[in-house]
Amino acid sequence: MLGYRFLSKLKHVLRPRPTPSVGFARSQEAQAVANKLEVFIDDQKVVVDPGTTVLQACAMAGVEIPRFCYHDRLSVAGNCRMCLVEVEKSPKPVASCAMPVMNGMRVKTDSPVSRKAREGVMEFLLVNHPLDCPICDQGGECDLQDQSMAFGGDKSRFVDNEYTGKRAVEDKDIGPLVKTIMTRCIQCTRCVRFASEVAGVEDLGTTGRGNDMQIGTYVEKLFASELSGNVIDLCPVGALTGKPYAFTSRPWELRRVESIDVMDACGSNITIGMRSGEVMRIVPRVNEEINEEWICDKARFAIDGLSVQRLTSPMVKSPEGYLENCDWEDALFCAAEKITRAGAGNVAAVAGSLVDAESLVALRDFLHRLGSETLTVNSEHPSDHLVNDLRASYIFNSGIVSVEDADHVLFIGGNPRLDAPVLNARVRKCWIHNELEVSLIGQDVDLTYHHNHLGETLSTLEQLLDGSHAFAKTMYAAKRPLIIVNGKILCGENGSRVQDLALKLANKLSQQHAEDGWNVYNVLQTEASRVAALDLGYKSSSKSALTKQTKVLYLLGADDEVINRADLADDCFIIYQGHHGDRGAAIADLVLPGACYTEKNATYVNTEGRAQQTRQAATPPGLAREDWKIIRALSEICGVTLPYSSLSTARQRLCEVSPSFSRYGDQEEALFFQQVVSLSEDSSESGATNEKLTNDMKDLSHFYMTNSISRASRTMAKCVQAFKDKD
Amino acid sequence: MAKIATEGILAKLKKVKDIVKFNGGVWNSIVTLYRTDELKQGELVGEDKYGNKYYRNDEHIMGRNKWVVYSDKVGMNYDGSQVPAEWHRWLSDMTDTPPTVKPPLQHRWMIDHIENKTGTQQRYVPYSTTRAKIQSWQPPAPSK
Amino acid sequence: MTVQFISLSVGSQTARLATLTTSSNLSAAEAEKKPEKTKFGPLKDEDRIFTNLYGRHDWKLKGAMSRGQWYKTKEIVLKGPEWIQGEVKESGLRGRGGAGFPTGLKWSFMNKPDDGRPKYLVVNADEGEPGTCKDREIMRHDPHTLVEGCLVAGRAMGARAAYIYIRGEFYNEASNMQVAINEAYKAGFIGKDACGSGYDFDVYLHRGAGAYICGEETALIESLEGKQGKPRLKPPFPADIGVFGCPTTVANVETVAVAPAICRRGGSWFASMGRERNRGQKLFNISGQVNNPCTVEEEMSIPLKELIERHAGGVIGGWDNLLGVIPGGSSTPVIPKSSCDTVLMDFDGLVEAQTSLGTAAVIVMNKQCDIVRCISRLIDFYKHESCGQCTPCREGVSWMMKVMHRFSHTICALGDGAAWPVQGLIRHFRPVLEQRMRDFEAKQTQAEAS
Repeated sequence: MLGYRFLSKLKHVLRPRPTPSVGFARSQEAQAVANKLEVFIDDQKVVVDPGTTVLQACAMAGVEIPRFCYHDRLSVAGNCRMCLVEVEKSPKPVASCAMPVMNGMRVKTDSPVSRKAREGVMEFLLVNHPLDCPICDQGGECDLQDQSMAFGGDKSRFVDNEYTGKRAVEDKDIGPLVKTIMTRCIQCTRCVRFASEVAGVEDLGTTGRGNDMQIGTYVEKLFASELSGNVIDLCPVGALTGKPYAFTSRPWELRRVESIDVMDACGSNITIGMRSGEVMRIVPRVNEEINEEWICDKARFAIDGLSVQRLTSPMVKSPEGYLENCDWEDALFCAAEKITRAGAGNVAAVAGSLVDAESLVALRDFLHRLGSETLTVNSEHPSDHLVNDLRASYIFNSGIVSVEDADHVLFIGGNPRLDAPVLNARVRKCWIHNELEVSLIGQDVDLTYHHNHLGETLSTLEQLLDGSHAFAKTMYAAKRPLIIVNGKILCGENGSRVQDLALKLANKLSQQHAEDGWNVYNVLQTEASRVAALDLGYKSSSKSALTKQTKVLYLLGADDEVINRADLADDCFIIYQGHHGDRGAAIADLVLPGACYTEKNATYVNTEGRAQQTRQAATPPGLAREDWKIIRALSEICGVTLPYSSLSTARQRLCEVSPSFSRYGDQEEALFFQQVVSLSEDSSESGATNEKLTNDMKDLSHFYMTNSISRASRTMAKCVQAFKDKD
Repeated sequence: MAKIATEGILAKLKKVKDIVKFNGGVWNSIVTLYRTDELKQGELVGEDKYGNKYYRNDEHIMGRNKWVVYSDKVGMNYDGSQVPAEWHRWLSDMTDTPPTVKPPLQHRWMIDHIENKTGTQQRYVPYSTTRAKIQSWQPPAPSK
Repeated sequence: MTVQFISLSVGSQTARLATLTTSSNLSAAEAEKKPEKTKFGPLKDEDRIFTNLYGRHDWKLKGAMSRGQWYKTKEIVLKGPEWIQGEVKESGLRGRGGAGFPTGLKWSFMNKPDDGRPKYLVVNADEGEPGTCKDREIMRHDPHTLVEGCLVAGRAMGARAAYIYIRGEFYNEASNMQVAINEAYKAGFIGKDACGSGYDFDVYLHRGAGAYICGEETALIESLEGKQGKPRLKPPFPADIGVFGCPTTVANVETVAVAPAICRRGGSWFASMGRERNRGQKLFNISGQVNNPCTVEEEMSIPLKELIERHAGGVIGGWDNLLGVIPGGSSTPVIPKSSCDTVLMDFDGLVEAQTSLGTAAVIVMNKQCDIVRCISRLIDFYKHESCGQCTPCREGVSWMMKVMHRFSHTICALGDGAAWPVQGLIRHFRPVLEQRMRDFEAKQTQAEAS
C-alpha cells in the first residue's frame, strides 16, 4: 500500500496534472505566476502554466479536442489516440492528452493531418464496435456516436466484416447496479482508472492483450464500491450502463431538473431526469466544492424507492386499530381536535432525516404558537449536555474543499467512506496527490486508503489531548489539521464527552501550530435535515419529546428506531407526516402524506452549513401535499394561523430565524468557536473513558438502506443481498 | 271470380286472416305487431336453444325473406346479438343450409354464445396493462 | 589458436589502460587526423569482444578469465562514472537493441543530483524479435561479459543494482546467467565491495513470462514490478521514474556486454571500427534462405552482400536468386535485391535504404519463397503480441492480419514496428501483391463460370 502511494505520488509529481482543482490552485499560485509558457493553438496565442497538456491548452483556447480515454479527474492513459493533433516540427501527430506543452509550440487542431489521424482512429474504433445504437442505452449521449458524427469518416472501408465478423466479448456480471455489454467496450480504461484511483477498489482491470484485451473483474465478482455508479457516466460508450435504468428511457425524452441529494448530509448536486411525472434517473452535477462530479450509489439508485411504499392519502386510525384512508378535511380536523385538547406544552415534535427547512420552520412556529417548546431531532442516545447552541459546534466549519489544503485529517468515529462517500473520495484524492496523513479513532474500517488507526475508545482521545499517545507528536506537528467528528457519535452514548474532548483537542491544535484562520473542528453530519434543524433551534435530544406527559407527538418524517410506542403514554396521539410508509407511519394514529425531495422546491442545509435547494421534478402522488403547506393548513384549523402562505414568504421567515438561509449555494462561516469550547467545558460530564465508540456502518451492506426512501428501494435491497452473497 | 279469389280484395283479406291465424289469433298478432312492428307469415325453419324462432318466406324480397322472432323470454329486450353465430350465418345469407340441416361443428373448447352485454352490469371495461407508477403503502394490521 | 590471441589482446588492453588515463582529447585529435575508412570488415580476430560466441570453450568464470574478462575491472570501477561515460562516448557506441540511441549520452542522463532514491540499471534480455538471436549467444556462452558489463555500466550511472530481465523461454540461458552471477558473487566481483573497489553492486536475474511487448523498455519495467507488461506513457521517462519509481536506464544485453571491453581497450579502439556515427563491431544474425545461417561478430558498416556471402555461405541458389532481405529483425521493412547489392549494414546506411538496422537480424528470402506468406506470418506474430492499450495498434494490427490473410501511431513503437514489414512489402513488392489480386480474381471468375 505504501509502495503504491509512493509511486503514485511520484507519478503525479512529474506527470502533467489534470485540471487543478481549487485546492491545488491555491497552494501552487505562487510558483505558477513566475514562468508561463506561450503556445499557439491554431495560430491563437495562449499563455499557460508549465506542465499543462496540449489538450488543456486547447481547451483554454476554446478548441475542444475529441477524446475517449482522457478524463479531467483521472490519470492520463493516452491509449485511445482520439486526441491526436498535429504539432509543428513533430514527425508524427501527438496524443494531446499526454503531451506537455513546450514554449512556442504550434498546434494545429484542424489541419488535414489531425483530421486524418482522428478519422483513422475513429475508423479503427468502429471496426469492432457493434452497430446496435438503436437498442443501446447510451444512444443519444454516447461519445462514440457524437464523435463519429463530428470527426469520423463518411463511409466504411471495412467490408471484410461480412466474412470475419466483429469481435464479440462475453458480458460480465459486476453486481445489481452496473450492466455490462462488453462487446461495446472500446478499452479506454476510464472505469479501471476510476475504480483504482477514485473509488479505491482494485476490482476492475484488464485481462488479455491485443484484440483480446477485456475489461473485467477477472473472476466474476461484485464491483463492491459505494461509488460504483459513476463508471456509468464515465463510460464513453454503452459498455457500462445502469442496470435499473436499462431500456427505460432515452436521454432526449428526459426533462432535466437540477436538484440536491438528501441521502447523506453532503448535499451532493444532482440532476434529476424526469419523464411524464416520473423520476427516471439521477446523475451527478458538477460542484467543485462538494461532490466534484461523483455521487454515491445510494443517491443515484435509490430512486425506485420513490414510487413504492408511498403515503398517497391521509389516514386515520379506526376504533378497531386499522389505519384507514380518509380525506384531508377529516384528517386535519381530527389532528386539530387532538392538538387543541392536549393543551399547551403537551405537544412535542420530532423531525426526521429527510425534512426540508421550510417545513422545519413551519412546524417550529406552529408549536411555538401552541405554547410548546419541545422540538427535537431524532437522536438515538440523546444527551442533554451536548452543546448545539452555536453553529460552530455542529457544522463542518472548514468546508469539504479544505481537505485539499489539509495535511492531517483525524476522523473521530463512524465510517466516513459510507457516511459521506464523496467526502471520502476527496480525502482519498488528497491522500494520493498531497502529503495528507489520515488517522481514525473508533472502530477500524476500510477507508480505501492507508490510515493510522489510533484506538477505539474515548481514552485514545484523552491520551491525544494530554500528549501521552504515541501519535500525539505527529498530530501536533500538523500545520493544517482537520478533526472530523461523526455526527452520529455526538448523538451516541458518550456524545457530549466526545464533543468536549474533540473541541479541546481542536482548540489545542489551532493554538499550537495551525495557521491563522484555519478551522480545525468539523462535524460530519449524516442526515440531510440535521444542520437546518439545529439552525432552527431544534434540540438534539429526543428524550424530552418521549415523556409520559406528551399527549400529542408530531413526527415530521421521523422514521428511525428511536421512537418507541412503549416510551409514551398509552393515550398519546401520534401524528406522522411524511412521504413513506415506514417505521414512523406504522406507529401513528394519524398519517398526513407529504412530498419527498424530488417533489418539492425545498431548502436543505448540508453538513458545511451550505443552504441549497431541491427543485420539483414530479408532483406529490395522490393526495400528498408539500409538507410546509400541510402544517400551515393545520395551524389555521387549530386557530394559530402561520403568517406565511407562499414559498417566498416561508423563506423570508427562514431568513428571519437564521440568516444562514439567505444565500443559496454559499457556505456560511460559523463564528464563536472559542465560546463553543468554553460552553462545552461548563457542561461537560465525566464518565468512563474505556467505552468503545460505536459504529453502525461496518461494511457496504449497512450503507444501502439508511432512510425511508432507500429502505423502500428494491434496487438497494438487491445491493445488500449482492454484498452479502459476495463471498 | 277466380281472379277476385286470387288477386282481388278477397284474396287480400284471406291473406290477412291467414297471417293472423299463423300468428296465433288476433291478440297474439297485436302483441307480435307491437313487438316487431310487422306481421309476417312464413315457413318455420328452426328454433335455437335460446328459444328464438327462424322463419323464411321467399315471397318477400331478398333481405326480408328470412327473419327471427326472438324468444318470449326476452320480451321487449331483444337484440341482434342474441342470434347465435350459426343462425346468424343463415340469416345474413352467408349460407343457404340452416343449422337444422347441417349442425355446426361442436368442439369442447367452444364456449356458449353470449349476447352483447353493453349497458349492463356485465359490460366489458378496459383496464390498464401498465404498472402503477406509484404504489401506496398498505398499513399493517394492528398488533394485538 | 584462440588462446594465443587472447593473451595477445590482454597485453594490448593493459597498455591501453595505462595510456588512456591521460587524455581523451589526444585520441580525438588522432582520430581527426586519420583518414576516414572506406572498407569495412572482415573483423580482425584480435578485435573480437565475444570470443566464445560459439560455445567451444568454457563459459564459466575460469574460462572467462582466461579469455581476459574481469581483468582489471577494479581499476575501471575506480576510475569512476565520468571516465567510463567519456570512454563510451568516445567509442561512439550506439544502443544495440534497435533504436540506436547513443549509449554514452543515455548513460549521462543518470548524472543527476542525488535525491535519495537509488538508481537502477535494467538489462533488456527479453530478446523476442523474430530473427534475432544475438543476446542469447552472449548469455549462454559468454555470460561473464554481461555480468561484468552490468558492473561497469552500473558504475557509469551510479546504479545501486542491475536487473537482468531475461526472456522466459530462455531457460538454459537464464540458468547459465545465474551460474555466472553466483560465480561472480563468490569471487567478490559483484555484491558488497565489488572487485574490492568499495562500490556495492548487486545483479539480479528476473525471468519474464514470454511477451514480446516486454522488450519495450517501459513495459519491461512494468513487468519487472510485477504488473501487466504493458507500456507506460512517456514522459516521465525511465531516467526520471523507472523501476520501483527510481531513476532507471534500460539497456540491451549487447550494449552492456561490450562496455568492459571498450573501457579496457579504449573508446578510440572501438571507434576505429565502422563508419562515422556507426562505430564498433556488432553481432549479426543471418537466417532464412542462406546456405549457412549463423550469428557472427562483424565490423559495423560491412556491406550486406559481403556479410551474407562470407559468413552465411551465400543465398541458396546464388546471389541472383535473392528476392529481398529483412535487414534488422522482423519489424524492419523488407528491402529488395537492388538495395541489397550495395547497402552497408549500419544505422545510417539502412535508413538511406528506407529500412532500419534494428537488431541486425538479417532474414534472407530467395525467389522460391512466397513473400506475401512470409510477411503475413510476421503479422500473425504482431497481432498475437499487441498489448491492446492503444486503439490503432489493437484494432489496426488485427485488421492488417485479416487483410494479409486474404491476400499508425501509439504509446510504444509496436504499432509502428508491426506496420513496417507491410509497408516494406507494399513499397517494394507491389507488383507481386497486384499479381496476387489478379490471380484471385481470375480464379474467382473461373469458379463462377464453372
